[in-house]
Amino acid sequence: MTKKFKQELLQNFKTAKSLNRRDFIYSMGASLGSVALAGMASQKAVASEAAAGPLSVKQPHLPPKAKNCIFLMMEGGPSHIDTFDPKPALHDLHLQRFNRKNEMASAMETGTRYYVESPWDARQVGQGGAWMTEPWKHLAEVADDICFYRGCQAESVNHPTAMYHMNTGNRFGGDPAVGSWVTYGLGSENQDLPGFIVLPELSYPQGGSPNWGNGYLPAHFQGTPLRPKGTPILDLKPPAGITPEHQRENLNLLSCFNHDHLEEHPWQNDLEARMTNYELAFRMQMQVPGILDIDQEDEKTKELYGIGNDDTESFGRKLLLARRLVEKGVRFVQAYTGGWDSHDYIERAHGARIKSIDKPIAGLIKDLKARGMLDDTLIVWCGEFGRSPDNGFRQGGEAYGRDHNAKAMTMWLAGGGVNAGHTIGATDEIGSEAVDVVHPIRDVHVTLLHLLGLDDNRLTYFSGGRFKQLSQFGGKVIPELIA
Amino acid sequence: MIYPFKITLKQFVAGQLFALAFLLSVPAWGADDYTDAEKLFALKVKPLLKQKCFSCHNDEDLKGDLVMTSLEDMLLGGESSDEVLIPGDGENSLMYISTTWTLEDYEMPPKEADKLSEEQTWLIRDWITAGSPWPSDEDQAIIAEKYAEGIVVQTSGGLDDDWTNRRYEEKDLWAYQPIADPTPPARSKRAHPVDAFIDDKLYDLGLSPAKLADRRTLIRRATFDLIGLPPTPEEVNDFVRDRSSDDKAFAKVVDRLLDDPRYGEQWGRHWLDVVRYADSAGFANDYERPGAWRYRDYVIRAFNQDKPFDQFIMEQVAGDEWKPDDPEALLATGFLRMGSWEHTSMTVARITRQQYLDDVTDIVGQTFLSHPLQCARCHDHKVDPIPTKDFYRIQSVFATTQFADREIPFQENETITGFDEKEVMEKRLSYFDNIHKTLNAKEAAAVKEWCEKHGIPNKPRAQLAKQGIPDEKLPPRSLGLTSEDIGVRKVGGMVVKRTKFEMNKFEPFAHSVVSGLSPEVPPLSGKMVAMPGDPMSEGEMEMSYIRISGDPFAQGPKVTPGVFSALPDSNDVLEKNDFNSIPETVEGRRLAFAKWLANPKNVLVPRSMVNRVWTYHFSKGIVDTPNNFGAMGGKPSHPELLDYLASRFVESDWSVKDLHRLIMSSNAYRRSTEYKHRDRLAEKDPTAKSYAVFKPRRLSGEEIRDSMLYVSGELNPLVGGLPALPEINMDVALQPRQVMGSFAASYEPAQTPEARNRRSIYAKKVRGLRNPFMEVFNQPSPDESCEFRQSSTVTPQVFSLFNGEDSLHRSIATAIDLLENNKSRKSVVEALFLRAYGRKPARSDRNLALDHWEQMEKRHEGLSFEPREFPREVTRSAVEEMTGASFEFKERLFAFEDYQADPGLADVDAETRALADLCLVVFNSNEFVYVY
Repeated sequence: MTKKFKQELLQNFKTAKSLNRRDFIYSMGASLGSVALAGMASQKAVASEAAAGPLSVKQPHLPPKAKNCIFLMMEGGPSHIDTFDPKPALHDLHLQRFNRKNEMASAMETGTRYYVESPWDARQVGQGGAWMTEPWKHLAEVADDICFYRGCQAESVNHPTAMYHMNTGNRFGGDPAVGSWVTYGLGSENQDLPGFIVLPELSYPQGGSPNWGNGYLPAHFQGTPLRPKGTPILDLKPPAGITPEHQRENLNLLSCFNHDHLEEHPWQNDLEARMTNYELAFRMQMQVPGILDIDQEDEKTKELYGIGNDDTESFGRKLLLARRLVEKGVRFVQAYTGGWDSHDYIERAHGARIKSIDKPIAGLIKDLKARGMLDDTLIVWCGEFGRSPDNGFRQGGEAYGRDHNAKAMTMWLAGGGVNAGHTIGATDEIGSEAVDVVHPIRDVHVTLLHLLGLDDNRLTYFSGGRFKQLSQFGGKVIPELIA
Repeated sequence: MIYPFKITLKQFVAGQLFALAFLLSVPAWGADDYTDAEKLFALKVKPLLKQKCFSCHNDEDLKGDLVMTSLEDMLLGGESSDEVLIPGDGENSLMYISTTWTLEDYEMPPKEADKLSEEQTWLIRDWITAGSPWPSDEDQAIIAEKYAEGIVVQTSGGLDDDWTNRRYEEKDLWAYQPIADPTPPARSKRAHPVDAFIDDKLYDLGLSPAKLADRRTLIRRATFDLIGLPPTPEEVNDFVRDRSSDDKAFAKVVDRLLDDPRYGEQWGRHWLDVVRYADSAGFANDYERPGAWRYRDYVIRAFNQDKPFDQFIMEQVAGDEWKPDDPEALLATGFLRMGSWEHTSMTVARITRQQYLDDVTDIVGQTFLSHPLQCARCHDHKVDPIPTKDFYRIQSVFATTQFADREIPFQENETITGFDEKEVMEKRLSYFDNIHKTLNAKEAAAVKEWCEKHGIPNKPRAQLAKQGIPDEKLPPRSLGLTSEDIGVRKVGGMVVKRTKFEMNKFEPFAHSVVSGLSPEVPPLSGKMVAMPGDPMSEGEMEMSYIRISGDPFAQGPKVTPGVFSALPDSNDVLEKNDFNSIPETVEGRRLAFAKWLANPKNVLVPRSMVNRVWTYHFSKGIVDTPNNFGAMGGKPSHPELLDYLASRFVESDWSVKDLHRLIMSSNAYRRSTEYKHRDRLAEKDPTAKSYAVFKPRRLSGEEIRDSMLYVSGELNPLVGGLPALPEINMDVALQPRQVMGSFAASYEPAQTPEARNRRSIYAKKVRGLRNPFMEVFNQPSPDESCEFRQSSTVTPQVFSLFNGEDSLHRSIATAIDLLENNKSRKSVVEALFLRAYGRKPARSDRNLALDHWEQMEKRHEGLSFEPREFPREVTRSAVEEMTGASFEFKERLFAFEDYQADPGLADVDAETRALADLCLVVFNSNEFVYVY
C-alpha cells in the first residue's frame, strides 16, 4: 500500500468515526435502536456459528489467495541436488575427500567424507526456465505453474524432529499441525467430513500421528488419516453382518433414551451436541465410502494421474482422492509418500521415487487447472530437510548417496497466489547451504497461512499460560513467493 | 526494508519540530513538581511502549519507517502517516487508533498475543490528549521512584536492570504470598468450613445453593470420582437404605471408597496425566521403556497408602539421594525420566542433553510449583517474576542427574504376573533371528565363492579394507543377496535388536537416575543404561550456564544451582539460608531442592496440590489453570478457601485422603446438578464459579471402557504389573510403524481375556501407537503435561463406541452374563439398568427395552455371522532406502496362534445378540457416559 492510499484510508476512518459520533449524539433514539439491532444480529451470528459446530466456515483475516491446501509431504528428505537444484560443480569434486568436524553434527555426519555428484544431468524447462533433473518428465509440462523455493532452512537433521518441525512448527512435537491451524482459522466447507484429512502411507512416518495432531487445539481440528487399505476411517462401518437398517433401529432406541434423559437435564448443552453427533456419524457412514470411491472417475482422469500403472498407482490414487476431497469442501489435505532417505544408490532410490510421483503431481496440477480449481488451491511440495553434497563411508566403502542436510533444501508451491514460473532463493555452489532469500521453516509457515488469508500473529490459541501460534513466536511472510 | 525518503521526510518537518520541541521542553520546576500527564507517561505509558512498541520501532529497526523511542521521532511520523501522534488529540492520533485494532491493516502491536487491553489503549489516548509530555530520563526515574505503583519483586536478577526492577500488579502476585490460615467466615456457625467460604460468596451474589443431590446420584458421583467405576447395585442399595444421617452415611461411603485399591488407580491416573506417563520413549524409534511401569505402580501405591505428599515429592525428585536403600524411593525417580527423549547416531549430543535438562526443569515447575518454567528458557519471563537465571539455576539442580536403569529386585508389593507376553516375544525374536542368520549365511556363501574365485582371503569386508586391499578388489557389498534380501535382512536385524532390548521389561530394572558426572555423550537409546561403576569419577562435571535465547550452543554466564527465587525466603542471592540453598556438590542438589519443595514454607506446592484435588472433584479449579499460577493463569475464585485447604493439608501431615474427606463432606460437593432458577443463576454467576450447583461431567475414555468391563463382569481387578495388552482397533494394531531403518513389531493383544481386560490405566501406552478409542475420548497425548482433560464431542467417538469391536464385545459379554443370572426378561432389563445407571428402569424405559429386544431378536433370527478370524501373519511392504526398490516381508503374529477370543456375534444365539444390541445402546447413552 502506498503511503497516500494509507493516508486516505485513515482519513476515511476518521470521518466515519466522527459521523458515527455525531449520529449518536443527534439522533440517539434511532441509533440506539440500530445498535441494539446490530448487537442482536451479531449475537445471532455467534449463536448460529456455535450451532453449526466448530468446523463452520470462518472469515479469513486477509483477502485469501487460495481457499484450500493440498500439502505433499516427501518423507525422508528429498535431495534438492538431484531434483530441482542441480550442482554441476560437484562433477569435478566427485569423490574428493575432506574431514568434517562440527559440534552441531550428529555422530553420523562426522569423520572423513567425500563429495558425490548427481547421477543425472539437468535441464531448464518452461518459460520460466526452472531447473529439473532428467527423471522429471511430466512435471516439466507444468513447470510454469510452480514457484520453486531454494532458501528454506530446517533446524534438525533427525527425521522425526524435522518432520514435526515442518508439520507443526515445533521440533519436539505435541503442537498443532499446519492443517489443524488452517481448519481452526477457516473452518471447513463440508460439515459432514473432517476439515483436515491426511493420506498417509500404509506405514506411518517416523514420529507417527503427532505429525497431524491437533496439539492444544480442540480435538475437532485433528487430522483424520484415511487409511490406504482396509476401512479408510476407523470403525466407519458397523460389524460385518449388521445392516444400516439394523443400526437405525438401535439409533432410534438410543434417541428415545437420550431424549428422556435430556428432559431431566435440559440445561446440559453437551447432551444435545452428543445426540446430534450420532446422527452426523450415521450420515457420514453412508456418504463417505462414495466420496472415497475414486473408481467413479472416468478412465481419462485416472490415466492423467498415472492410475493403472504400477509405478504411479499408489500416489496417483492419493492425489486423485485429494482432489475429490477438496472438491467436496475439505479444507486441508496432506498426502505422504516416503522412501526419500537415500544414503546410498541414489540413482536407483531417488529415480524410483521421482518416477512414482512425477506423473501424479503433474496430473493433479493439470486436472485442477482444467476444473478451474487451481486458483483456489494451494499446493505445497516439500520434505523435512534436504540432502548433503557429500557422504560418509558405509560398510567401509564409498556409497553414492547423501546424508541429511538442514541447511539446504528445495520446496515448491503451486496454485492460488504463488509466484508461479519463478525460482526463488539459491544455495551455494555445491548445495550445502542456502545463501539467498534464506528463511527458517516458520517463515514458510507464515507464508502458507498468509496465502490462505490467515495472519499468523492473529491465529492464536491460549494454552499453557500464553497465546500460542504456528510460528511459535512470530515469523515473516516471504514476499518473493507471492505473486 | 530501507526507505530512501526517510531523510527528506525528516528535513521536511524539521521546522515544525523545533517549535514543538521547544514548547514541550518546559522545565519542571523544583524537580519534583510533575504534572499528572508526566506521571502518566513515566509510570504507565513509557513501560507500555517499551514492552510493546520499542522492539520494532527503534532507530535501528525502523518498522514502518517509524521510530517511537523519542517524542521527536514520533512526531516525525512514519511510512503511513504523519499523524502518528497529534499532541492534544489522542482520539485522532494513529498511535491510539492503531492500538484499538478497529482500523484494518493498522492493528498494533500486530500480534494478537500482544494486543493492548482497552484500559491500556486509554492510557495512550489520555497521555496524548494531555499534550504528550515526555520528561527526561532522569525525571522519569525520579517519578518512578516517588510515585510508582505496583510491587518490585526481589529475584536472583534478570538479564537487565529494567526487568529486575520492574513492577508487578499485586493481583498477579497472589501465589507468592505466604499461605494464610483464614478462619472460615462465621455466617453460620454450624456450617462446614468449605461451605462457610463458598456460601459466603453465594450470599454476596444473592444466590441460594441448590439442594443436596439425592443419595442415588451422590453415590454414583462419589464412586466414579474416587475409583473411576460405577457403584454396584448393592452399594447403591446399602447407601439409599442407610438409616444414619446423610452426613454419616455418606462419610461411610467415602471411607469405603478411599480404602478401595481402585482408588489409587483412579487418582494415580490423574497424577500420571500431569507427569506425562508413557511406556515408550517417543521420536524415531519410540522404544518401549523397560522399567517405566514400575514407576506407574509406585504412584498407584502411593495414593493407596496415602503417602504423605511431602514424601511423595521427595521420593520422585530425589528418592535416590534421600533413601538410597529404599526400593520404593528409587522407583519413584522414574518421574525424572518421563518426558519423551531419544539419542541416536543421527542426533546431536549437546542438543539431546539440553533437551532433557530443559524438559525436566519445565516439568518440575508445572508439576509441583504450578509454573511452566519453559517461558523463562529464552528470556526473563514476560509476565511472571521468573528470571532466565532461575530457569538455569533450577536446571543446574539436575545437571548432575544421569540416567540409570538400576537393578532393583521385584518387591512383594509389586505385581509380577503377566509375563505371558514374554513367550510371544521370544517366538518373535527367534523368527527374525532365523531370517537374519539365513540371509547372512547366504551372503557369506556368495562371498566365500567370490573370494576363492578372485584369490582373496575370505574375511569380513571391513577387515580386508583395513589390510589395504582397494575398494574395487573387495567383494561387492551384499553379494548374493537380492534387493528384497537386503531389505528383509536389515529389517529383521533391527527387529531382533529392538525385541532383545524391550524384553528387559521382564527383568527387575527401574527407569531411574543417579547423581554423578556427565558422560561425554548421552547414552544411546535402545540400550539399557548400566549404573556407572563410580559415578563420581567417570565423566566430567557438568557446569551450568544461561543458554542465550535458549540456544544449546550459546553459552552465557555461569550459574550455580538454586530455587525459584521470587518465593518468600527463597532468594539465596539476597540472603542464603538452609531453606533456599542448594549445594554445588555432585550429590545432594536434588535432595536439597526436594526439601525446598516439600517444606511447608514453600507457598506454591501445597496450594498447587489442593487445587489439583479440588479440580478433579468439581471439574473446575479454585484456580482454573492447575499448571499455571502465574499472571497468565487464572486467579483463585476463592483465595481464602484455597489457603484454608492448603493449611489443613499441611497440618494433616500432607494427607491427600484427609483432603478428600474434608472436601467431599461439604455441601458444595454434595449439591445437586439441578437448579430451579437457571436464568437467575446464569445472570448472577455467568462464569459458573459460585458452586451454587454441582457441575456434571462426561466420563474419561478410561472410565467408559472400565465401566463397560465392570458392567459386563469381565474386569480383572488385579492391581499393577507389566503394561497390559488389551484389544485395540485391529487396523491400528497391525498398522506398520516406521522406526529407524525398520518397523516396530505389530501390536499383539494378550492371549487371554483376563490379561486383556485389565483397567485401562495398565494398558501399554506407546507414544506412536495410541489406542484410538482413548484418543477420541480425549486421553491426552503423553508429550505434554495435562492439568485437566478436555471432554469434547467429536464424530469419531460415535464410530468407536457405536461401531467399534470393544463396545460390541462388552455388550455381548454383558448380555451373556445377564441371561445367565436372571430368569425373566423383565429382570434382565432391570439388572442392566441397575448395573449401568444405578437405578431401576421406569416403566416406559422397560417397555422400550423389552420391545427393542424382541424386535431385534426377530432381525437376528435371520442373520448368521462369520466367526472372528485373527491374522497369523501380516505382510509388510517397504522401500529399501538404499535401492529405492520395494520389497515385502512377513511378520508372524504369534499371539494369535493360541488366542482365547472374547465371545463374538457368531458365538451367541439371536436372543443374546438382540440383548447385546440393547446393551450397546445403553453403553452409548448419555446417562451412561455422564455423571451428575
